[in-house]
Amino acid sequence: MNIKQIAKAAGVSVATVSRVLNHPETVAPKTREKIQKIIDEEEYTPNWFAQGLNFKRTRTIGLVLPQNLNSANMEVANGVEEVARQKGYITFICNMEKDPRREKEYLDQLITRKVDGLILLYSTLNEEYASWIEEENVPIVLIGETKARDSWDSVFVDCRAGAAEMTAHLIECGHKRIAMLCGLDPEPEAKAMLQGYKNVLKASGIKVQENLIQHVNNNIEGGYIGMKKMIGNLPKKPDAVFASSDEIAYGAMDALKEMKLRIPEDVAVAGFGNDRMSSLMEPKVTTVELPYRKMGIYGARMLFDQIEEKQAKAEKRRRPKKIQLHTKMRVRKSCGHGERIGEMF
Amino acid sequence: MLKTNFLGMELPNPVMIAAGPWNRDGQRIKESLEAGAGAVVTESIISDTMLDVRPRIASDSLGAENIRMYSDIQIEGWEREMEIAKSAGGIVIASISGQTPSELAYMASKMERFGADAIELSVSNPAAESLEVVASHADTLYDMTKEVVSSVKIPVTVKLSQNTTNISKVAKAVKAAGGSGVTAINTVRGILGVDLETAEPSLSTYGGISGEYIRPLGLASVATIAQTVDIPICGVGGISCAQHALEYIMLGSSAVQVGTEVMLNGKESIRKIVQELEIWVQDHNVNNLSEIRGKALENLKAYDEMKFEPAIIHANGVPCSENCDKCIRACMYQAISRKGRSIRIEREKCTGCGLCASVCPAKKLKLDL
Repeated sequence: MNIKQIAKAAGVSVATVSRVLNHPETVAPKTREKIQKIIDEEEYTPNWFAQGLNFKRTRTIGLVLPQNLNSANMEVANGVEEVARQKGYITFICNMEKDPRREKEYLDQLITRKVDGLILLYSTLNEEYASWIEEENVPIVLIGETKARDSWDSVFVDCRAGAAEMTAHLIECGHKRIAMLCGLDPEPEAKAMLQGYKNVLKASGIKVQENLIQHVNNNIEGGYIGMKKMIGNLPKKPDAVFASSDEIAYGAMDALKEMKLRIPEDVAVAGFGNDRMSSLMEPKVTTVELPYRKMGIYGARMLFDQIEEKQAKAEKRRRPKKIQLHTKMRVRKSCGHGERIGEMF
Repeated sequence: MLKTNFLGMELPNPVMIAAGPWNRDGQRIKESLEAGAGAVVTESIISDTMLDVRPRIASDSLGAENIRMYSDIQIEGWEREMEIAKSAGGIVIASISGQTPSELAYMASKMERFGADAIELSVSNPAAESLEVVASHADTLYDMTKEVVSSVKIPVTVKLSQNTTNISKVAKAVKAAGGSGVTAINTVRGILGVDLETAEPSLSTYGGISGEYIRPLGLASVATIAQTVDIPICGVGGISCAQHALEYIMLGSSAVQVGTEVMLNGKESIRKIVQELEIWVQDHNVNNLSEIRGKALENLKAYDEMKFEPAIIHANGVPCSENCDKCIRACMYQAISRKGRSIRIEREKCTGCGLCASVCPAKKLKLDL
C-alpha cells in the first residue's frame, strides 16, 4: 500500500496520514489510532526519498574517516552512530584510505546525496576545498585538527601535552636515549606530538638527536620497518621508543622481538591511543588513552546542534565551538616502570 | 519558616536530595520532589554512559561504599527526563561530571536548555578519578568553573572533596571563577572492610565512603569554608535526621543534601527530616533559618586563639547511680575512682581533657574552673 491507499482505507486525507507519520501530536487521538492501526497492519513504511524532498532533510549524516581497518577510527564511528541513532539518523561511513583525493570524492558524493551534515575525522582537506564546502552550506564538524580550517566546530585532544607526559614518564623510568617513531599522519597531531617530545627532552637537559627520530607510516608495518631501520642505522640502540600511535608501537614490538631484544629490559616501548589491543599485547603496552568514542559522541552532538540551529533558521553564525577532551596515561609493562601507580589507582 | 535561599533560588526548605541513582530519571526526581525535598540534584550526568560495575555498592551499620554511580542516560535523553522531572514544579539541579572545561561547559549549557535550575559540578568522585581528584587542584577547578559559568545563565555550584590539602583554597578558586556556591563534601575514598574468610575487600576497587563515617569530615569542611570564604554552602555527608542538618546549618550551611539515608531508607526519610526540622524551629522560636546559620562558628576558634584555662572536671555533688564506671575507665590520668555509690575526683590529677564528660551517659560531669 502507498500513502494514498492508506488514506482511502482510513477514510481520511493524505495530509492527515502524513501528519500521523510526522507530527502525530497534531492529530486527534482517535483518528490517530485508527490510522496507525492500518499503517501497522499493512506494514507501511513511508517513502524515504519523498520524505527527504518534502522536509528538505534526509535524516542521514556522513562520516569520512582515514581508514576503517583501524580499530581506533571505528571507535570514533561507534560514538557518532550512538548519537545519530538516538536522533533517528543513519550514518554513512566512508573510508578515504588516507587519500585526500578520495576524501574529496566522498565529500562530493555525500553532499550530492543531500546528507544533513558531515563529520570529518582527521581530515586532509586543503584551504581551497574547505572554501568550496562552506559554500554548500552543509553543517560540518571536525574531529581532530586540520590544516585547512580553524573556523569550524571541532573536537580535539591536546596531543602535544599527551606526548610530553609520556616522554616525561619514560625519563622518570630511567631512560635517557629515548627514540620516537613519529607517524606521517594525521599531520597536525603528529607534529604536535613531536614538539611535545622534543620540549620535554630539552627541558630535562637531554639533547634531541635527529637520528633517534624516525618518520613512519602510521600503521603496524610502518612501526615494524621504522624500528628495524632505526636499530640498523644506529651505533647504539635506544633505551626506549615512543610511538605516536599504538599500531606503530605494535609493529616496533614485533621488530624488537625479531631482533631478540627484550621489552622493556633492552628497549622499552610506549604507544599512544590505548587501542583495545594495547592491553592484550605481551608485554602490555604503556600508552596514552585517547577518548575515541567520546570524540565521536561530541562530534555528532555538535553536528546535530548545527543541524537543529539550521532548521530553526538561527540568524547569525555563532563563534565556532571547540571541545577539548582529556588524555590519560595508562602505565602498564612495556615502559619498564617498576610500580603500577597509573594503571591501578 | 524553613524557606531557604540557596544560589539565589527560593527553596521551600533546606533539605535537598543529593545526586545518586535515586534521582536517575525524570520520574524518580519527580518522586523526590513529591517527598518534600527542597530541591533535587540529578544523578551525575557524564559525556558518555558507561557499563556499570557489579556489584558497586556495599553498606554496613554506619554507612556505605560505592564504586561509581553515574547516569546511564545520555545527555540527549535528559531533555525528555527533565520535562518529566519538572512537570509538577520544583527545583532541579543538574549534576554533571567531566574531565575538561569545554566538555563540562557543553553539558551545562545543554542541561540549562532542558530546564535545569542550577548546575552542580561533580569533579570530586574518589572512585572514578583515582588518587588526585580534580577538586583537589585549585587551578584546574578554577578553569572548569569559569568556563561553565560563562556558558550558562543559571547558578553554578561545585561539589568539593575532602581529599585536598586545603579546602578553603579550593572554595576560593570556585568563588574567584564566578561560582555561586559550593557543595561539601563528596564521598571520601575508602574501603568499608575485608571478609576474612574470602580475603575480599568490601568492593573490588577503592570506593567512595558515605554516611555516618563522613559526617564529622563534612562538618569540618563546611565550617572551614564558612570561616574563610564568603560563598553559600550546601552541606553533605551523613545526614539522617534534623539534628544533623541543623549541625551543618549552625556551622555555616545554607542548605543540606541527603544521599545515603535516602539510598538505604527511601525517600520517606526526607519527609521525616523536614517534619523534625519544623518542630525544632517552632520549639526554639526560630523564624528563619538564617537566624541560626553559622551560629556555632562563634564558638569555633582557631587553635592559636584558644584560651588555656585551668578547668577541671566537677561532679558538682551529683550522686552517680549509673555504676557504669565508663568515666573511670576512660580517665587516662587516673583522676576518677569509685567511692561507694558515687565517684571521687582527685583535683590535682585531673588535667581537664574532658573525655569523662563526653562518655558519661547521664551527662553529670562538667568541665569548670
